[in-house]
Amino acid sequence: MEFVIEKKKIDKWLDDLKKDFKVIDIRGKALPAKQYFLPPKQKTFVFNKKTKKLSCPEYKKEFLVFGLGLADLEAMTQLDEIMEKPYSDFFYWQKRNKSLIIGLVDESIEVAPGGDVILEKITDQQYRALILTDKGKAIIKDEFFDKKDKPSIKNYPQPDNPFKRMLLDSELLAEAVKWSLNHKIWDKLGEQCLGCGICTYVCPLCHCFSIEDQVSLDNKECSRCRQWDACTLPEFSKVAGGHNFHKTIKQRYYNWFYHKFVRAYHEYGKSQCVACGRCRENCPAGIKISEVLKEIVDDYKKHLSAI
Amino acid sequence: MVPKVAIYDFTDCEGCEVKLVSIREKLLILEKRIDIVNWRLGQEDNKPGPFDLTIIEGTPITQHEVDLLKKLRQDSKVLIALGACATLGGIPAILDKKERAKWYKKIYGEEYKPRGIDALPLSAYVKVDFLIHGCPIDENELIRIFQELLAGKTPAYRGYSVCFECKQANNPCRIINGQPCLGPITQGGCGSICIKGGSPCYGCFGLRQEANVKGLVEVLQGLTDKKEIERYFTMFLSRAFDK
Repeated sequence: MEFVIEKKKIDKWLDDLKKDFKVIDIRGKALPAKQYFLPPKQKTFVFNKKTKKLSCPEYKKEFLVFGLGLADLEAMTQLDEIMEKPYSDFFYWQKRNKSLIIGLVDESIEVAPGGDVILEKITDQQYRALILTDKGKAIIKDEFFDKKDKPSIKNYPQPDNPFKRMLLDSELLAEAVKWSLNHKIWDKLGEQCLGCGICTYVCPLCHCFSIEDQVSLDNKECSRCRQWDACTLPEFSKVAGGHNFHKTIKQRYYNWFYHKFVRAYHEYGKSQCVACGRCRENCPAGIKISEVLKEIVDDYKKHLSAI
Repeated sequence: MVPKVAIYDFTDCEGCEVKLVSIREKLLILEKRIDIVNWRLGQEDNKPGPFDLTIIEGTPITQHEVDLLKKLRQDSKVLIALGACATLGGIPAILDKKERAKWYKKIYGEEYKPRGIDALPLSAYVKVDFLIHGCPIDENELIRIFQELLAGKTPAYRGYSVCFECKQANNPCRIINGQPCLGPITQGGCGSICIKGGSPCYGCFGLRQEANVKGLVEVLQGLTDKKEIERYFTMFLSRAFDK
């Protein structure tokens, strides 16, 4: 049995869901879905100087994030893993546990990459619901979905993405990026990169943050905030006492790649990249990250064959 | 002990002081923790120094103002520049010196001896302990810096570019759409207010630490001509462009 929704009914369904959930439609948003679970700026806890008590903001209302594509869904599954291992990130899960993730995918799905429900395009006017969790099951209402035994299903092939193919061999990527430390490409990127941090903000998997403490203007409470950091920024690798581990953009840019492709491979067995293409689309300096990676891999292969 | 605070202004539009007033009820909270002993714009009863903290808006463009700035430095434990005129030279520093010389002659005649001094940031004359950037300043940043000072901390500059807040505001990126913008090299804290309103970033929050000015100029050269790029930089960051 399949649950099929007419394309034109999707918005009405979302309106209906607003009765029970805060509905966030991420279509057309510059920042990826991570922003709702790991916000750009977040107060983690507050200390009241008078009562000497700590309090933590609570999130009561369930919310629903709608409109994730295939790469975004895959990224959320991976981000969940990062936020679970080796230590569970309390503040992330505080929000994540209150949420539902609904995918909207215009290509035919081979393996469902994550989320609670995915609407998969089956004809030009229809989507079918792939129900992946109990939470997801509860929001599929008869009012909007038709039960069909054998609906007609057209094939919408996923566009060929050479970058995605490259990610399949994350071991090779890890070796290549590690090897590339002295590659000339980093000198070029060190000059080209504006260090604005956009690539990390728009990345659905970048999750580094910095901590900032504040004392309120009336001196009654102190709070600890965390906010997104970006490894290309000069403060990123600075420690107490002023020492900076990565003094130049070149070093910091390499570190970004190292974290995504080398460290991530050793820690989680895969690259922290889903080939969504956002970093490339949003880079004001026009750096094509997929091509950077390709150049490194090609040169590494040449290096291997020359040995 | 309640710190003694003075607020002075040199040549400018006084808009950043208006921003200070516009924090409204927060100004009343702040006023309980500090003693504003001298504020020409805000009160009638003003006392001379020494001061624990002096906040200066505007830029000196007469010898009298320069002398006063130097005296205020001597009289103050901490001196903070308020707004782009004080931190970068701001609007008065946009002036084209060649044009000025031409008009001096035309209006006042060959004999005229100019008395004005070129607008420069306060730091060109005295040591400035912290810069509260902006044209005008941002209320939340102002409050943050007061919070830091009153907590006994050394205030920190924003380590990120305008782009961080611009992406959060979901603004379409100007540069990607072929329009010049100085956001990537400019310090954040403004909430990307100009870009939100459809204007480019002209860098009134000053350069971000270790900003790649050369890299951005190269990007801008692909979007517009040299004269236009120079015009963008002359708004607030002419000193960065000259380098």
